[in-house]
This record gives sequence, structure tokens and C-alpha cells, in this order.
Amino acid sequence: MIMKDSERTEYFNEKAIEISKKYKGKIRTLPEVPIHGLDDFSMLYTPGIAAVSKKIHADKDLVFELTGKWNSVAILTDGTRVLGIGNVGPEAAIPVMEGKALLFNYLGGVNAIPIPLNVKNNDEFITAAKAISPFFGGYNLEDIESPRCFFLLEKLQKSMDIPVWHDDQLGTASITLAGIINSLRLVNKKKEDVKIVFNGAGAANIAAIYLFEAAGFNKKNMIAIDSKGIIEPERPDIDALMLNNPWKYKIALDTNEERIKGDIGNAFKGADIIISASKSEPGTIKKEWVRSMNNDSIVFALANPLPEIWPDDAKESGAKIVATGRSDFPNQINNSMVFPGVFRGVLDARSKGVNFDIMVAASYGIADYVKDRSYDHIVPSMSDFDLFPEVASIVARKTVESNLARKIDTKAGFYRTATEIISSNRNVYNKLFDK
Amino acid sequence: MTDIRLMEKKDINDVMDELLRLKRLNSEFDFALKVSSGNETEIANKLNKMIDNREDHIILVAEENKKIVGILISDVIFRIYYDPKYEVRIREFYVMPEYRGKDIGKALMEKLGEIARKKDMKMITAEFPSLNLIAINFYKNMGFKELIKIYSKIE
Repeated sequence: MIMKDSERTEYFNEKAIEISKKYKGKIRTLPEVPIHGLDDFSMLYTPGIAAVSKKIHADKDLVFELTGKWNSVAILTDGTRVLGIGNVGPEAAIPVMEGKALLFNYLGGVNAIPIPLNVKNNDEFITAAKAISPFFGGYNLEDIESPRCFFLLEKLQKSMDIPVWHDDQLGTASITLAGIINSLRLVNKKKEDVKIVFNGAGAANIAAIYLFEAAGFNKKNMIAIDSKGIIEPERPDIDALMLNNPWKYKIALDTNEERIKGDIGNAFKGADIIISASKSEPGTIKKEWVRSMNNDSIVFALANPLPEIWPDDAKESGAKIVATGRSDFPNQINNSMVFPGVFRGVLDARSKGVNFDIMVAASYGIADYVKDRSYDHIVPSMSDFDLFPEVASIVARKTVESNLARKIDTKAGFYRTATEIISSNRNVYNKLFDK
Repeated sequence: MTDIRLMEKKDINDVMDELLRLKRLNSEFDFALKVSSGNETEIANKLNKMIDNREDHIILVAEENKKIVGILISDVIFRIYYDPKYEVRIREFYVMPEYRGKDIGKALMEKLGEIARKKDMKMITAEFPSLNLIAINFYKNMGFKELIKIYSKIE
């Protein structure tokens, strides 16, 4: 069936409402242990279970071994930036969080639980997030407005002893890095030398700039652009950023060594890479801008649903490699290729946290996974199921090397664990739906 | 190398640019500090007068590679009721973003202290928006403490 974009959107919208009406929610609780009758509850519940509580009381770390904490993730949101629809509040965020929870489970075998929070400010969010930590082995922040998301991520990462992830920042940044790693391999350029333009300075691109720096790219060769134009330290609004968005402020000071200012097109001249997470409208990136880039240019136009420039237009203007956020073009940059493996990995290692080094390792793992690299194949696709245990084992191992792991194993051991968990979880689906 | 020196008339445009940056930063803290536009001539005139009147004002600039990267504007106040008799009040203090964290602010303060000492003025004070935590921390680190509060009400 061939449908126009608008028809397809309409079709998905209707189906989503129909399914939500019919099933009234997308996830439910199922037992991990076999139950044959009420008698079993003497061991699953009282009186027997008190003995387990006593053990954990005596040694709190046993909570990872004797309960479901090790595999449980809270999906935390305040509903302030839900998808592209904006600040719709925590209730309206639930359908999205349920979908994400299902994706966590389906791809990574993780028990993810939506936790939309009714909070008024940062402090309330932090207090609530800390308070619910006992049952969870990790947090995923989701659909939170910028710059609040930077503050919450930084604060929670510093104060929690479990990994805290914000997928809109870190997931997107990691898969972008993986795509760039392979692109540079194909065009034979070095990460230390390339000039990168980040078009758009929202959560994903700000995180990407820090991640690329951690991966060894030269921050001085990067230029960031936001809604007000090219970011440089003398722009009149930079002082306000110092107060309102210190993460972007730091970027303003550390990037753009050439001090390029003025028209956005100036930033593109001679650039090797453009990573755009900006306005979802073809033409946002102009063809002549791409034409002014260096030889073998790389264009990531990641806005959804419409890229900032159509891939054909970008290629016609000289781009060697083009990636978008869409599945109907080659090279889909999709954070769903990252978070299931990353979480499987940190959970299997019972990690105390996650950091840029671990993410860089994950990005290289994803890039290396693509064996038959070509201009139209720089990242894995969603159907590459064994990508997730591969990423999980790399992440888990890096967690061990970073002294964050509570559970030590080899890469092969972690790979086995992840494969087992994901495939036995997949079997549950098969049984549930009689495949 | 940063050179800290007294402001001269050739610096007026650069100093005004940084003054306006400072005022725009202040406007982030309170609606009552909203910056009005089109005052360049008056500001230039005022700076001109202040430079001429070295008894009542100490105005410093930090210069790096012929570029003004920081300013400190202060008034000399005679304290009729109190001891010590003279106070140097910092009214405006700004360092360009990319030159922060390099002790230029500290160097400006030290130079001000040096000049004040020579004039036998022992007391230095500073004013800034109440909510400017960065300024609060800066002055606390320099050994200052809170002295007077200003409350406002706009009818």
C-alpha cells in the first residue's frame, strides 16, 4: 500500500486511538516466578518472605540479588516536552511512556515502569525521583523540556547510585556518534581534524557536542547554531545563557574558535559534517549551504517527521553521506538502537552509574557492528536483534572497567547473560500471543 | 597578558558596549531592571564626565591585545556620619564571557584596592542585583559581607 505522508500519519493516529480504546493501556504486571496455587504465597509472600526482608535489611546490596530491582527501570517524566507536541502534562504523557516501557521490554528485556510526576519545579522533581529509588536499578528520563532536562540529569547522576539516562539527550547523541564514526571511516577523515556544525541547540545536539568531545573530536572545530543564529561568546544573549542554560553557555565559550558569526550559511563553509536537529521542514538547510561544505561532506538531517533537507537534495548538492531520522530513507538515526542495549548492559552489571566513556564505548560498539559499511549503510537497523546483547556486553564491560559495576563478568559472560534475558523474554511474548 | 589601567576617552565605545551587556544581564534578575533603549549618547556623555572627574570616580578597564575585556566603574562616597570617612562603591563590574575564570575580575579588584589605599580610602562596597548568586559568591570569596539592602516597588 502506497500512502502519502499525510495519509500515513492519519492512519497511524486513528489506529493508535483505536488500540488505546480497546486495550486501555499497553503494559501489565506478570509473574516472574511460577505460581500453581494459593499455597505458593506462603513462600512468595507471608510468612516466608519475612526471611528475605531480614537478609536485605542486614545487607542492603542483596536487594539486587533477591528482588526485581536489578531489572527494573523507572521512566520518569514531568510531561513538559512530550514528543513534538510540547508541554501537555504528566497525564497526557502516559500513552507515550507506556509505549516506551514496552519498547524497553520488547527490545532489551527490561521491566520498565512509567512514572509520570506531578511536580512544579526542579526541586520537587529531584525529591520525588530520589524518593522512589529503592525498587529501581536505573532511571530513564523522558520528554522533559530543555534546559530543565540538563539540570535534572546532572543532579540525579551525581546524587544517585544507579544509572540515570535521558534518552532524548544521550540516546540520540550516542547513535549520532556511531553514525559519524562509520561515516568518517568511509570518507577517510580523522575525528581530530573534522569541522562539525551542530544545527539546533536542543537537548540532543547539546548532549552530542559533549559526547563528541569525550570521543576525541576537537571542540574548537565545532560550531553550534540555535534559533538566534551562530553561537559565539560575544553574542549579546550569552550572559543570559550563563544563568539560564550553563550547558549551552559552556559550549558558547569552548566552540567556534574561528569566531564565525552572522549569517547561518557562514558556519557551513568548509565544514565536513553537519548534524541538524532543528526545524522539521525541508529547506531549513539550504542546498547552497551544503554546496559550500568541504569535499565528501556528511549531512545528518535528523528532524522528524520531515528532515531539514531531503536526502536527494543534499546528495545533489555534494553530500557524500546523508542520514535522517526516518526509516524510509537509508541511514536512520534512531535512539531505539541504543537504549535497550545500554540499559541491558548497565543493569546486568548492576551499575552505579553511566557516563560519557561508557557511551563512547557503546557508540563504537554500534559502529563496529555494521560489517558491510557503505554510504547507505552506516548504522544498524531495528531488526538487527543481536545488536542489543552486543552493545549490552560492551557497556557492561566498560562499567566494570570504570569501577561502577556491582557485578563482574567477562564480555563473553555479559553477552551470554544479555542474550539469555532478551531471548527468554521474547519467548514470553511468543507464549502470550500464541506464536 | 592582561593590562589593568584607568579608563581613557578612547575606551568609551567599548566600555559602553560592556555596560549594556551588564545591564542586559541584570535585566534577567528582575523586571525593574529592564533595559531601556536608545541611550547611547547620554551614556557616552556620562562616561565622558566621569573620566574628567577623577576625584569622584575610579574607572578601570582590563585590556588584552588592545581589546577591552573587562570594566570596573566605582564612585567615591564621602561618609558624613560614619568612619571610615571614605567609601569606594563599585557600581558596574563586568568581564566578557570568554575571559571569565582567568582572575581578571580579581585583578580589577586588586587594582581598585591599590588605588583606594593610595588615597587612604579603606572601605570598598559593591552593588548588584539581589538575585545575582554569581556576584554574591564572587564578593564573599573576596572577603565582603552583606551591608545594606535595597527594596523596590513600582506602582
